[in-house]
Amino acid sequence: MSDDDFLRVADVSKWYGDEQVLEDVSFEMDRGDVTVLIGPSGSGKSTMLRCVNRLAEAQEGSILLDGEEVLSPDLDVDDLRREVGMVFQGFNLFAHLSARGNVALGPRRVLGLSDADAGERAEEQLDRVGLADQLDSYPAELSGGQKQRVGIARALAMEPKLMLFDEPTSALDPELIGEVLEVMHGLVDEGMTMLVVTHEMSFAREVADEVVFLDEGRVVERGPPDQLFERPDEERTGRFLERIASHD
Amino acid sequence: MASATRPTTVRERVAESDRSVGRLLLVAAGALFWGWLVVSWVNRWVGGVLVPVGQPLVPPGAVEATLAGVPGLAAYAADAAFVVELTPEFARGTWLTVVITAVSLGLGFVIAVPLAVTRVYGRVSAWVSLAYTELLRGTPLLAQLFVLYYGLNLASYVPGALSGVFARNVVWVAILGFTLNGAAYQAEYIRGALESVEEGQITAGRAIGLSKLETIYYVVLPQGLRYAIPSWTNEFVYLIKYSSLAAFITVPELYYRADQIASETFRYTLIFVLTGVMYLALVLTASKVMARVEGAVAIPGLGAERGE
Amino acid sequence: MSVAGTLALAAAESLGAVASESAVGAAPAFIGEAADWEFVFRNADYLGVGALLTIGLTVASILLGFLVGFPAGAVEVYGDGSLKRAVSVAGVVLRGTPIVVILIVMYFVVGVPQINLGVASVSSAVTAGILGLGLRSAAYQSQIFRAALSSVDAGQLEAGRSIGLSRFEAVRHVVVPQALRRSLPGFQNEFTIVLKDTSIVFAIGLAELLTRGYDLFSEQTTAVLEVILFISAIYFVLTFTTNRALDRLGDRYAIPEGESA
Ligand SMILES: Nc1ncnc2c1ncn2[C@@H]1O[C@H](COP(=O)(O)OP(=O)(O)OP(=O)(O)O)[C@@H](O)[C@H]1O
Ligand SMILES: [Mg+2]
Repeated sequence: MSDDDFLRVADVSKWYGDEQVLEDVSFEMDRGDVTVLIGPSGSGKSTMLRCVNRLAEAQEGSILLDGEEVLSPDLDVDDLRREVGMVFQGFNLFAHLSARGNVALGPRRVLGLSDADAGERAEEQLDRVGLADQLDSYPAELSGGQKQRVGIARALAMEPKLMLFDEPTSALDPELIGEVLEVMHGLVDEGMTMLVVTHEMSFAREVADEVVFLDEGRVVERGPPDQLFERPDEERTGRFLERIASHD
Repeated sequence: MASATRPTTVRERVAESDRSVGRLLLVAAGALFWGWLVVSWVNRWVGGVLVPVGQPLVPPGAVEATLAGVPGLAAYAADAAFVVELTPEFARGTWLTVVITAVSLGLGFVIAVPLAVTRVYGRVSAWVSLAYTELLRGTPLLAQLFVLYYGLNLASYVPGALSGVFARNVVWVAILGFTLNGAAYQAEYIRGALESVEEGQITAGRAIGLSKLETIYYVVLPQGLRYAIPSWTNEFVYLIKYSSLAAFITVPELYYRADQIASETFRYTLIFVLTGVMYLALVLTASKVMARVEGAVAIPGLGAERGE
Repeated sequence: MSVAGTLALAAAESLGAVASESAVGAAPAFIGEAADWEFVFRNADYLGVGALLTIGLTVASILLGFLVGFPAGAVEVYGDGSLKRAVSVAGVVLRGTPIVVILIVMYFVVGVPQINLGVASVSSAVTAGILGLGLRSAAYQSQIFRAALSSVDAGQLEAGRSIGLSRFEAVRHVVVPQALRRSLPGFQNEFTIVLKDTSIVFAIGLAELLTRGYDLFSEQTTAVLEVILFISAIYFVLTFTTNRALDRLGDRYAIPEGESA
């Protein structure tokens, strides 16, 4: 635990009403790291992710991003979200905007770029995710894999320093998962810092620097993928991994 | 589709051509109706270049003479001439009906959007908005007009800048009444549409750093307002029809003028049926135009698919 | 036949003139004049009878609207040929014409006679009112039922046929019960529209709530606002209770899961 961690989540707890959904969650990431969060449904993975960009409010603990306290009440959450991109399980593309419009909205309205510059940036980002030929398509006209790639481009267009992925491939048909993972692989190669919730164990194995296993809001175990997948310390981790594997 | 290649039966083809003839007739009638209205209005504004103000565009005598010569139509010649004689009055009344409707609809919309937004996203203001819409939707429009006109006597308080725009200041009272009432109905439609925009759209807007208001403005409203177009068309049609109630606070719009003519000439049947036809033409035009608008702003996957 | 329609307008004219003249002279009396409220409450009985008439008119019109509108909706979904076309054209005309025009046409043009029931007689204004409001409501109710009938999944009809019901029986026993429940929200809306629009029979001089209010404040012009606010409150209570009652009905007969269609 060094002082120059890029992201340091320390003892974060969160309640929805009386129900505690996160309990003293801690982990750290360096710049350029890929951390994968795994765990059973309802274990708090999405909530943890959303605490990082304040879509959910943690009641206790600390989240330091690049030395700044994310949970501070004085922090401008819009500034924070400008620097932290998020990709959703259900895509959440703006239904009334074309692919270009989806990607350009943030640069135009949040970063204050001109229409032309925002459009240009959108085209670059869509090109980056392999959608240069779908600039004018509306979400309803895209396949799931294409939608998710637009979602990624939309987040990238803000030039974030951290990307959050919440089960980006869970809503996709099996044959469409590959194209999204490919884009994510590309980001890893470019050195993007990524915090990813996913059930794609092979992806985690290949790119993760650390895997964090959450259960019932607690970190049960964390470590490099080889160790966690091959020789888990905890029985619960092993059982969870077996169940996931049997589904593949 | 297999059905596309299925040979059509004779009966279907007849029905098809029937329909296209019907459509053609309807378009022709519409063109005639609006042509007559626009020419009459322009003639009045420019001080009667075509025909003296107050005179029909074609002389009633000529119409009567022409029809009298046509076997089968001769019996209707006198009636036709009578109708032609009334056209200037009808055109004048219709102008006011159109203006009142358009202005009230526009102003009502301006009030309705914030009403709907506060209703969905506000706290205390949500209750204020709810109270307003419930009160205005829960009482008759005619009673509301009476409150403004007889109760508050607003016709004598029309601000200087507005008075004189219309021949009678009471027109403003009617516009105020329809605006306040229409805003309540429009707000309900827009609220429903806003609520049908998915939660994830807002989350995504917030996630790229838009503020709550910005998210509503750039993400929710563009979608919600498109969803609202069909019900908004209803509101448009509703206003055209209910603008006739302005007659009861002495606004000389279409119904008022028809009623006056009827009581002078005692030809109730003819005149009120004709008035009905006039309103029907306005209403049909409005729905056709709105269908066009809906098509023009349609976005794949938005709105259209909800209709199935 | 009297010239009630024009009478209403002429009266409006003269009263309006009185109102604006008095305003020019003296500042208008605002709400809260004790004498004016006393005037309202003294005439509460008179207005109460008007409210009963309003309710009666609403119920009769809704019933007529249902009796005509439901079959009309069914014809629009299941019928074909000229019957279907006639029904839909009649619907377009009735929905595209202001209710005040429909009422006045009923009153003058159709020339509804006075109906003698032996014990009581129904004036021609009442008959015209019920016919006008009822048929217009039928045109709207037909749309509600049309939408509800066609929203029932086609598989339901097939399932009905598959257990040996005739087409008519399948519609009658399978589709209609589901459609009726689904049409409740639209029906609720229609009910309050008719209730509020009964006020427009003012045009044919029928002495329901609004007309009686009008007669009262023409009599004592200082009490205009008090009288209108009072009758507005009655209308509001009527629409509000109707809505809540129909909400209850909706909850009671809701089909589980059926809502999200
Ligand atoms: N807005 C909310 N209000 C109340 N409870 C919530 C809310 N969001 C999540 N929860 C609860 O918090 C717990 C953790 O939810 P979370 O969505 O973080 O789980 P998850 O690990 O992402 O699950 P999944 O794999 O199903 O996405 C669950 O018990 C859930 O019911
Ligand atoms: Mg989740």
